[in-house]
Amino acid sequence: MQELVGRLTALDPEASETLKVVAYFDALVASGVGLDGLLRAAAALSGTTAGAQRGSRVIRFDANGRRLGATDDVVPSPERSAGEVRVWLERDGALHANDEMVVERLALAAELLETRRGQDGGLDVALDQQRTVDERSAALSRLRIASHDRIRLIATDVAEPAPGATSTVLPTKYGLLRATVDLSGDLHAKTRVGKGIWARADHAPDSWDAATIAFRLTSDEDPVVDATDLGAMLLLAQAHDPDHPHDDVTRLAACDATQSTVLRALVESESIRSAAAKLGMHHSSVQARHESLTRQLGYDPRTPAGRARYVAAAMLLRLSGDAASAT
Amino acid sequence: MTTTATPRPPFDPELDALLSLVGDQLPTLTADTIAEFREAALPVEALVITDDKLEAAGVTRRDLTIPGYEGADIEVSVFARADHTGAGPGIYHVHGGGMITGDRFLGPAAMLPWIADHDAVLVTVEYRLAPEFPDPYPVEDSYAGLVWTAEHADELGVDPARLIIAGASAGGGLAAGTALLARDRKGPALAGQLLICPMLDDRDESASTQQYDTGTWTREFNRVGWDALLGDRRGTDEVSIYAAPARATDLAGLPPAYIDCGSAEVFRDEDVAYATALWQAGVQAELHVWAGGFHGFDMLAPHTAVAQASIAARDNWAARMLGS
Repeated sequence: MQELVGRLTALDPEASETLKVVAYFDALVASGVGLDGLLRAAAALSGTTAGAQRGSRVIRFDANGRRLGATDDVVPSPERSAGEVRVWLERDGALHANDEMVVERLALAAELLETRRGQDGGLDVALDQQRTVDERSAALSRLRIASHDRIRLIATDVAEPAPGATSTVLPTKYGLLRATVDLSGDLHAKTRVGKGIWARADHAPDSWDAATIAFRLTSDEDPVVDATDLGAMLLLAQAHDPDHPHDDVTRLAACDATQSTVLRALVESESIRSAAAKLGMHHSSVQARHESLTRQLGYDPRTPAGRARYVAAAMLLRLSGDAASAT
Repeated sequence: MTTTATPRPPFDPELDALLSLVGDQLPTLTADTIAEFREAALPVEALVITDDKLEAAGVTRRDLTIPGYEGADIEVSVFARADHTGAGPGIYHVHGGGMITGDRFLGPAAMLPWIADHDAVLVTVEYRLAPEFPDPYPVEDSYAGLVWTAEHADELGVDPARLIIAGASAGGGLAAGTALLARDRKGPALAGQLLICPMLDDRDESASTQQYDTGTWTREFNRVGWDALLGDRRGTDEVSIYAAPARATDLAGLPPAYIDCGSAEVFRDEDVAYATALWQAGVQAELHVWAGGFHGFDMLAPHTAVAQASIAARDNWAARMLGS
């Protein structure tokens, strides 16, 4: 059987195989698929048998999705532990390019299932906007957090270890993210971190929503983003629907690399002349580009109002794009 | 998923996950994009028949030109075990593709195990496609191929008493229409009709049609397919029961049927209604409606639990029908 990941990528050549693996497991988790379904997906993606062991129970599926029996001569390669569960592929010979990635995402998804089923979903419930305040408060008290406590949530990549406090993995509109409760304000992570706003504990979903936005705005240059620093821009980000972006965002997205560079210089520079110097371009050609960009965007990015529109659109554009590209 | 005002059975979770991943890339179909739709690649490896698969199954293929509707040349391919001798069960296959796309190699891959296990001989027909060849060309070509198969049963190694017709989607609709033609013209006797999520009704009225403007074959695609086949006649009294078997009011005397579909697809209600009408006419029928299945789920996501169940049920029926 041909590997599903290859077929998925052939269908959508602009997406990498890594992206497809991540997106598929995210979608499986978001749909509420159990361990058997995760294993079938891993087997189909990799074109080889996938298995799991919880306690003494072994579950295996072949690449066609057929259930296999437990045998003594299983040679896991590669394998990973996910809490109480061990998961693996049974690759015969050299690993294929995506095998490690498939097992990593399989392990994360399996761990998430364990967490949800094991501890009555304490933090999951506390962060679920669909639950009532009473349900969320009850979940918080199980975590020994009072409803009126001030807390904030921080968002980190699921592949990174939990920062050491109460934590869970949740599907978000930006893919799977790890949510960790920060009670003290001095929780630190080694990698990219999105920090939510401070909120009453029974309004924890608001803080988590802000944290996911902040995480989405992190970059290699800017690994830590605090939603509080976004000010009122946070409201814009919350209202933003990546599937139906504002026209300003669409127009900005249509700019090519050169236009984007010129635009940024125009917005950030005192004058056209200093923008030209920064860009190493002639004053008159920057002037011409300024005029054509103004026509293209529908506003002048050098006026105070135009600058504000540009900054807002640029932030929303960073929130758009492929859900998994931030990981 | 976006919320919607139309209540409808949700997709099965495993299927939903795959659809959310590939949904954006699936080709779309409008009256103006039939050519592009034909060219688009589908991630349905399970459907495609390759030399490797044939060799692994010990099956050979030969291509023949036979007379189609009005005597025009059409192609068929014959698949049989390399060591086939004597007269085995026969499968006459009509491919799917919304009446407007696909070819005769789309579908038989899922039946290779039946050729291998039951020493069956499969004939698959290259009927001419709408809109270039509108109704009645597709169903008449299919019927001409069936007549040819029955007349050449001896040299094909087919036992004429054990010949079934099979097709998926539009191929299921054409198979049902061909079976009606065979009955009404006193043509070849059929031992069974395998109708996989068949496309039977041009009238665009059922609840399931109204529920599924989403999935792999939407209400809109379905209208385009029927328009291509029927033109201005779609939805009028001018449509024959052979083009749209859902319109048949007398199903007596048809061969035993196997019908399956998903609970989350456009064709659900017309497929269930056809099975019910067969029972009412005293015809044997086996009906499977797979929970949360979108159109063609078993082909797009064969590794999922619901697809496994659907494929196993079909294999089981084939064993009862074709096994000696």
